[in-house]
Amino acid sequence: MSVIKVSNLTKTYTDTEVPVHAVNGIDLTFEKGEFAAIVGPSGSGKTTILNMIGGLEKSTSGTVEVHGQDISELSSGKLIDFRLNNIGFVFQAYNLIPVLTAKENVEFIMQLQNWEKTKMNERTFAILESVGLGNRVNSKPNQLSGGQQQRVAVARALASKPQFILADEPTANLDSKSTNQLLDIMEKLNKEENITFIFSTHDQRVVDKAHRVIKVDDGKVVSDEVKN
Amino acid sequence: MMLLKIAWRNIWRSKTRSAVVIFAIASGLVGGLFSSAWMNGMAKQRVINTFSIETAHIQLHHPNFADNFDVKRTISLTDKKLNEISKIGGVKAVTSRLKVSAMAATANKNMGVTIVGINPKTEKEVFGLYKKVDSTSGDFFTSKKKNSIVVSKALAKELKVKIKSKIILTFQDYNGEITGAAFKVIGIFKTDNSPWDKMHVFVRDADLRKVVEIPKGQSHEIDILLDDYEQASFISADLKSKYPELLSEDWSEIQPYLSFITEYMDMMMGIFMIIILGALGFGIVNTMLMVILERTKELGMLMGIGMNRKRIFLMIMFETILLALVGAFLGEFISLLLINYYGNVGINISSLAEGMESVGYSAISYPMLEPYRYLQITILVILTGIFASIYPAFKALKLNPAEAIRTL
Ligand SMILES: Nc1ncnc2c1ncn2[C@@H]1O[C@H](COP(=O)(O)OP(=O)(O)O)[C@@H](O)[C@H]1O
Ligand SMILES: [Mg+2]
Repeated sequence: MSVIKVSNLTKTYTDTEVPVHAVNGIDLTFEKGEFAAIVGPSGSGKTTILNMIGGLEKSTSGTVEVHGQDISELSSGKLIDFRLNNIGFVFQAYNLIPVLTAKENVEFIMQLQNWEKTKMNERTFAILESVGLGNRVNSKPNQLSGGQQQRVAVARALASKPQFILADEPTANLDSKSTNQLLDIMEKLNKEENITFIFSTHDQRVVDKAHRVIKVDDGKVVSDEVKN
Repeated sequence: MMLLKIAWRNIWRSKTRSAVVIFAIASGLVGGLFSSAWMNGMAKQRVINTFSIETAHIQLHHPNFADNFDVKRTISLTDKKLNEISKIGGVKAVTSRLKVSAMAATANKNMGVTIVGINPKTEKEVFGLYKKVDSTSGDFFTSKKKNSIVVSKALAKELKVKIKSKIILTFQDYNGEITGAAFKVIGIFKTDNSPWDKMHVFVRDADLRKVVEIPKGQSHEIDILLDDYEQASFISADLKSKYPELLSEDWSEIQPYLSFITEYMDMMMGIFMIIILGALGFGIVNTMLMVILERTKELGMLMGIGMNRKRIFLMIMFETILLALVGAFLGEFISLLLINYYGNVGINISSLAEGMESVGYSAISYPMLEPYRYLQITILVILTGIFASIYPAFKALKLNPAEAIRTL
């Protein structure tokens, strides 16, 4: 079974002066272990698509199924728990809780999942190590560079053992060196842990790293290629 | 635990703003607690003074004595009763008195007074009036001189007498005859209650008994001091059954306002604190609304990654409570220092004292606050924090995570 199955998904914003058709009937499926980029110019609907897949926004029509479960059927309370236990999120910025250290930020999500303390500890260190921050565990976000902060965000997304990780323009605020580093780490985790990544970008360097490139424009998929 | 940690650290994110709130809470509490302690100290002192000067803890009388101070309405076998009462558990000291209405006259003026005939030795065990005669104003029956009288400074002023002056007392004797006697002033006292002072003069039981012709063994009043004044109603009830022919009254029956003072103070303090905390509560609500507004993106992110409503709510509530508690502890600490300091040195308001003393309060008062009050106020502050967090927390829950994050 596919990890994600998106069928005829649309989103129309009606609270605006003229209705905005942000997403216009999209069909997509993602399999376990994919490393896929959703690519398109600004305003093409990338964020809206990811938000609907991640259960942050309700679709106007169409369905999003995660492992066969239609998430639009979940109540808003259930949806929060669903996100906690099934989806890892990396946002463009403001990913971290400023008052917590890198380690505490990663632990935070596991605490929400009620992990046992020693296991949580072990996993936190291992993951921070694997994103190359083994020596920065006790740094607060404002003591870390933008790239390091995004790596902590990836570590946190991974820590909750999600079905897949959604990353909306995770490199938008990063310089090219940090962008490469982050992508390399994501790719490594994808390969080593077989974790599914779906990220959006309009940055060609990021697109080049993706194994599958889904181009969108005007809320429609214009091409969907798997690279070898 | 994690939520508490986040809440605590969040307080210090905007140091200036938190400091302002903390300072506001602290000063509100200092104002409230200190003035409560002050009022409380005055009230306690008033109560204790009244015991020591006027009422003792329990009094026995002939049931109708209070009607018109009829000298014939006496307690019989006084010595036997004093002896019996002194053996009751919880009784510290006991004495008997004569009380006779009289006119006190000098060349200058006549004043209506109550003559209190006392037995100096036991009197001093029960009452503290003798301490109100300072060394420059004579003494309280230390010498054996006959027909001595101790009057108050206020009365002495009215009658224009001083030590060694004579005062003529006129009264009805045991047989209904109007008679009188001259007494020589040997001491002048002053309490905090000037109206009371003017109405009471003190002479020896033996001297008064002789001129009023009260038979031996009879007296008008038995005054009892207890180890613990809270026991007064129980012991008084015992005495009622022991001496059915007498009227036994505890201090709250003799001076009902004494128990009101304490209850009234409690109520005043409660209302006062609630007003202060209410005002502070609004300030806290406002601050927390600013906090929520500032952290929209962060809260959106937290909801996005799967922090549920209950936890968001708790996190905000914890932050509010902790913020309020920091202010409370600071305020309580400062109050404690102030109350302890002024509790020792006293607050002197002698410039206003005349007014105070005419209603029975001392010019110098010693603020004091029972320890449980601090606990009480802490609980009230926590409640204030809880209430103040509800509206901001609901505001936070209304956030739409997708929109909050989109504004990135
Ligand atoms: N809350 C909203 N209300 C109205 N229009 C919106 C809202 N969010 C996004 N849009 C519009 O939907 C379209 C797609 O936006 P978005 O998904 O953010 O694109 P991208 O992430 O590719 O830049 C844009 O035209 C945007 O202006
Ligand atoms: Mg976007």
